[in-house]
Amino acid sequence: MTRVVTSLAAFALLTGAAFAHHGWGSYDAAKPVTVAGPIVTSKFENPHATITVKASDKVWTVTLAPTSRMSSRGATEKVIAVGNNISAYGYPSTVEKDEMRAERITVDGKTYEMR
Amino acid sequence: MTDAAPAIFVALEQSGFAAAIRQSPWLYPAANVGHIVCLVFFAGAVAVMDVRLLGGFAATAPGPLLARARGFAIAALLGMAITGFVLFSAEASHLALNPVFRLKIALVGAGLVNVALYEFLAKRGVEKLAPGAIIPARARMAGLLSLVVWVAVAACGRSIAYF
Repeated sequence: MTRVVTSLAAFALLTGAAFAHHGWGSYDAAKPVTVAGPIVTSKFENPHATITVKASDKVWTVTLAPTSRMSSRGATEKVIAVGNNISAYGYPSTVEKDEMRAERITVDGKTYEMR
Repeated sequence: MTDAAPAIFVALEQSGFAAAIRQSPWLYPAANVGHIVCLVFFAGAVAVMDVRLLGGFAATAPGPLLARARGFAIAALLGMAITGFVLFSAEASHLALNPVFRLKIALVGAGLVNVALYEFLAKRGVEKLAPGAIIPARARMAGLLSLVVWVAVAACGRSIAYF
């Protein structure tokens, strides 16, 4: 019985320790894309900031990082404001059409890591 | 936001309440941490109850122990429901369509049905037992089901973000 309790406690700790929000599981890392163009809409919100970008082929929804991480890396609300030109390198969603998750973004010659 | 979700979830996600959660720098992370803290208390209380029903801690009379742990489990479950609602509201339309989230909710339902069955059909046979007495089979079954279901709920909860 002690063993049962110990393994339950270990399980609880493990599930608790790993509470970073989103996985990258539903994004295809084998097919990286670079989406470049002006920002059309911008939401600086939790659990992730999201923008839409008018690229040459279509309008992409680009999922970024949680707002506190964005801020601490210098990628503030102003950096991803509507109208700014952005280049986002990341992976297309395997679930949502025309959505990608950015590994890093470049605005005005500055690159910000999102992971 | 996805329009494919039932209207009630789209409306919830578009509500001022949900917008406030998304726009606050700390509300969503706080609910996230709160949900896990409540999970830890819930898992601890439920583990004590289930292990007792399965014959562990046999030197202790089951009635008072189960009653004590029950209070913690109910409080923690309430905490998870509140923090969970906050987390859900922020992304309601996506989550309503997420297969793992749906499975999790179904499993929570199954867990609560198991609680109700225990309360109505098995509890009376356990409450007055002396320390060391054999636990009746249906109560043992409820304990085993509880252990399996709630661990599966926790595993689903952690997996939602990956689907």
